[in-house]
Amino acid sequence: MVEKFFQDHERKMPRDSLITSENDSEQDADLSLQEEHESKTHRTKRRDGDRQKKKRRNERRKGGTRAREGEEDLQAVSEKRERSKRKRAKSKQETSRRENNEEEEAQLTGGKGTKARKDIRNEKTRRMEKKEVGEVEENVDKGKKKQGSTKKGEKKEDGGKQLVKGKAREVKKKKHKKAETSSEPETSEEDDDEEEDNDKDVVRPECLSPEELEKLKEAVDERKKLIQSLRGKPWSMKKKLATLRESQEFVEKYEGALGKGKGRKLYAYKVLMTKKWMKFQRDFENFKTACIPWEMKIKEIESHFGSSVASYFIFLRWMYGINMILFGLTFGLVMVPEALMGRPYGSMPRKTVPRAEEASAMDFAVLWDFGGYAQYSVLFYGYYNSQRTVGWLKFRMPLSYFLVGVGTVAYSYMVVIRTMARNANESGVGDDNSFNFSWKMFTSWDYLIGNAETADNKFASITTSFKEAILEEQESHKDDNIHLTRFLRVLANFLVLCCLAGSGYLIYFVVRRSQKFALDGLENHTWWERNEVNMVMSLLGMFCPMLFDVISTLENYHPRVALQWQLGRIFALFLGNLYTFIIALMDEINLKRKEEKIVKFNITMWEASLYNGTVSENSTASPVTINPADVPRGPCWETMVGQEFVRLIISDTMTTYITLLIGDFLRAVLVRFLNYCWCWDLEAGFPSYSEFDVSGNVLGLIFNQGMIWMGSFYAPCLPALNVIRLHVSMYLQCWAVMCCNVPQERVFKASGSNNFYMAMLLVILFLSTLPAIYTIVSIPPSFDCGPFSGKNRMFDVIHETLESDFPPWFSKVFSYASNPGLVLPFILLMVLAIYYLQSTSKSYREANVELKKKLQMQNEENKRKNKRAALKAQMDLEEARMTAQEQQRNNNASVQDQEDDTDIHSSVQRPCQEKYGCNPPPPVGGRGRQMPSSRDPGSRTYNRGNHGPSGYLPGFARQSEPRMYRVPSLQRH
Amino acid sequence: MVSPAIALAFLPLLLTLIIKYRYFFVLFYRAVLIRIWKDCVTGLSREERAFQYVLTHATPGDPDSILDTFDVWCSKVEFISNIGPKKGKILDRLLMEHSPLTVLELGAHCGYSTVRIARSLPLGARLYSIEMDQGNAAIAEKVIRLAGFDDDTVELIVNPSDEVIPQLRSDYNLERLDFVFMDHWKKCYLPDLQMLEGSGLLGKGSIILADNVLFPGAPKFLRYIRKSGLYEWRIHRATLEYSKGIRDGMAELVYQGIK
Repeated sequence: MVEKFFQDHERKMPRDSLITSENDSEQDADLSLQEEHESKTHRTKRRDGDRQKKKRRNERRKGGTRAREGEEDLQAVSEKRERSKRKRAKSKQETSRRENNEEEEAQLTGGKGTKARKDIRNEKTRRMEKKEVGEVEENVDKGKKKQGSTKKGEKKEDGGKQLVKGKAREVKKKKHKKAETSSEPETSEEDDDEEEDNDKDVVRPECLSPEELEKLKEAVDERKKLIQSLRGKPWSMKKKLATLRESQEFVEKYEGALGKGKGRKLYAYKVLMTKKWMKFQRDFENFKTACIPWEMKIKEIESHFGSSVASYFIFLRWMYGINMILFGLTFGLVMVPEALMGRPYGSMPRKTVPRAEEASAMDFAVLWDFGGYAQYSVLFYGYYNSQRTVGWLKFRMPLSYFLVGVGTVAYSYMVVIRTMARNANESGVGDDNSFNFSWKMFTSWDYLIGNAETADNKFASITTSFKEAILEEQESHKDDNIHLTRFLRVLANFLVLCCLAGSGYLIYFVVRRSQKFALDGLENHTWWERNEVNMVMSLLGMFCPMLFDVISTLENYHPRVALQWQLGRIFALFLGNLYTFIIALMDEINLKRKEEKIVKFNITMWEASLYNGTVSENSTASPVTINPADVPRGPCWETMVGQEFVRLIISDTMTTYITLLIGDFLRAVLVRFLNYCWCWDLEAGFPSYSEFDVSGNVLGLIFNQGMIWMGSFYAPCLPALNVIRLHVSMYLQCWAVMCCNVPQERVFKASGSNNFYMAMLLVILFLSTLPAIYTIVSIPPSFDCGPFSGKNRMFDVIHETLESDFPPWFSKVFSYASNPGLVLPFILLMVLAIYYLQSTSKSYREANVELKKKLQMQNEENKRKNKRAALKAQMDLEEARMTAQEQQRNNNASVQDQEDDTDIHSSVQRPCQEKYGCNPPPPVGGRGRQMPSSRDPGSRTYNRGNHGPSGYLPGFARQSEPRMYRVPSLQRH
Repeated sequence: MVSPAIALAFLPLLLTLIIKYRYFFVLFYRAVLIRIWKDCVTGLSREERAFQYVLTHATPGDPDSILDTFDVWCSKVEFISNIGPKKGKILDRLLMEHSPLTVLELGAHCGYSTVRIARSLPLGARLYSIEMDQGNAAIAEKVIRLAGFDDDTVELIVNPSDEVIPQLRSDYNLERLDFVFMDHWKKCYLPDLQMLEGSGLLGKGSIILADNVLFPGAPKFLRYIRKSGLYEWRIHRATLEYSKGIRDGMAELVYQGIK
């Protein structure tokens, strides 16, 4: 019975399968398709008869499973199949449960399943055998001999085999080609095959013949493949899980049974090792994740607050990394050498607290202001000695100081620019505007959110963004209220400018006042007055952004645009404040330098008087020992600058933390606990919990970093301070976010503005190095403090090193190289190179855009083509159905009555014409002639018959053909 | 002494707060300051003043006119937290859609929402309105009668809601409530809802509409309905009555019963 079905199956398949298999050369990518085709060709070939029997038997022998092919083997085949089926049913019941196997299963019942699946592998196997003919053939022969009953005629001569195989390959050239591509990975499998075949009598499933083993192995492989590709399958998760579990169980169960004896052990060992290795890899991945600092914290925050808040923390971490490196540089190359190898405290005037300050040098208030002992320590510029080398290592302290100062800035530039470039690559050339709704539709969800409330918020924000987008789209069409909007925007900007000017003036005023205080002497003033500048700057930096935020609601921008405006304004505010501060500092530097001149003069006078006095007293001129604390000294403006920056950082940090504690924590506590006894809902209504202000925080961080860059030349302790600050704020802010903030109502995605922040950082870096470089280059260092004391300019240290530490030819080369005649062309060249690179990148971008457009066009074209093809197919189908109906009816009609023919035609015709709506206009002449008899349906059919073949629809010609022959004859009647 | 410059630095904060919360300041002014002032000047309660205004300005027997007059008084003259015209539309729509036969209103206040509900009820429907305060109830009664609804349509019950609800079944022969409108003390939303559940008056498909769930707000109530699973619920977001900038919402609950 099975046989019969088998034959039926064969009879049905061959013709079209032959056709398809012949023109399927491009389908090799799709494995399943290929399998199918191959199985079909195989079947077809089997029908080719006895001529190729030999060849086929050969193939079968080689492949192991092909034994079931030949006609005379059919009996055996069916038996075998039965057995294998039973085995299958017994050993892997789950096969039937797998849906992707269902077609195969169906084929199996038709006797084809195993073959269909196996053919491709057999192809591969054969290819492999081609390579290692000798041993494999032996093995195969051995294997064949063992199954005496089924393979009675299997005494094949090896010599002829080669030849026949060649023929076989000719027939299946295409398939071979396909198999070739994938044959390499099968090598190990092949080995296993050999091992299997070699000692198959030690098996646990002793009853298994090599064929079945092969089958089992293939099933196992298939399961493995399935497990791998499971993720991409378009199934429901439940089904996937079920399939995965089943497959894993199956593999677990039968993997061990595959190899036998030695090979089996080896195989099991291999499998075991693979598993161990995978586990190790996974653990290692976990370990790596655990090693990233704060990763878990950030992930948690990300799941609660969305990626934008998380991006702030990632930014913070990145900043922390950079500051660690800056700190390492300054600490390792400047502070530690000076502290360990330089002259100790108290050995020189610059390293000693002056006598006047000694009494209060240890007071907390003084130390908190970084005066007293803090001022005369490695933390500040003034402490460093100008001796060329320190310690037994001959460490070049001044040079190191200078190079570290330059190196930190250079490193920062490098890192920022590199990150920017990487970000730019990631963001690509996406234009968000052209497919606004599609973008929103498919990309707006933040998949990292793991908190229900945040998800709600995100959902709401997506819906609102949709609403807004729709509104925008509508408004862009009508733009009625544009004048009002414009006016409001101008007004908002005006207000913001007023605010900026006000804050700038306030800072200027405060700085001037502080100078007055400084002239009066700081001791006469209160703490508030002394710290006025920092306080005012911090407060303004904190409150003005809020005001901007409120003002920006006037403008009615899209939130993303509004965010950028907001960022720009805060940026302007911070920058204005910072530069006001710097300008004030410059004034102070000039004051100090004037003071310094006087002091310098006084000191010479003092020294002269001292020496004169001693000389006059005793002529031996022994060195006078004066306590360094008593030596008069200059004001050392560098230390002053450093101190100012450190104070600024400290006050900034304090403000941030206090704001956090009061604005967030205290508020949250109040809201939370007062809510029990309040007349409205504090949590949802008026004060509510605060939201995490990403933009403000990021900008604060950026400006903080700018101050570090600016001040770290004069205060080497700044990176250390900043590291501490960032470390604390990491923990503090993580905690504050999780405990007292609520997710924003408008949850942004962070990716868009990432590079925006980076660009800001770059600008700030540039703007903050500017004053530092200016002071280094244009102002001479103090005469009695710092590593460059006694030099005309700070960078003279390079010259000095070149002259004394390098061979003369080097300094010569260097002086040549620094010749403007050489430097200028070099700069020119660099500019040209940059220009070139920039233009090429621009052209690439354009090309990208073009390609994108092209892709889009092609897509559209394809869509149209597909649509047309579908339409055509539908029409063909319709037409075929019509024809069939027509024929039937014609038959009926011819049997019934010849005279009624025309009526039937017309009745058939009309619905058809109405349906297609494509009644070709009859030629005017013919129509005019037949006008009187236009009621006659025959004429219509006639016209139609003439026009049909040239019409748009191919159906008409054939449809009216049977009528064409008859209708004229009717008319002739 | 704090220097004036530091004080000046707080100016942006002050401005921000004023601008940001201007609606709340306005509300505070209208609902509290004016009320105290008028109470002192006229010696009447707020509700009485509102009723006087309605009596002199509205057409008796015409609920629409009465409602409009109330709206005018509340938005132009003083402030009473009625449901207001905007949220009232939502209420109307729900009533129109479901045409409930038995309606319970918790918190009639001065009758605005009672008139509003009674206006859109189908024929033969009955509205039970519960008001705790005697004075308010008297005014509500007058307003309802003024609008032309008789005892058959609207029954005003002057008692605290937590006393009335358990007795609804026995005293008023109620089998099932089709629609419940809550607009009384926000703190009572949750206990009253639980009481309603316990009384068994809610059937599958009964609708409960709670006003002012965001401002002044009933957080426990919202938390409860989120968790309980007895309801299909949604929040109609709107603004507080007679005020543009304060967000408020109404919670619409559809009782599903225990699944």
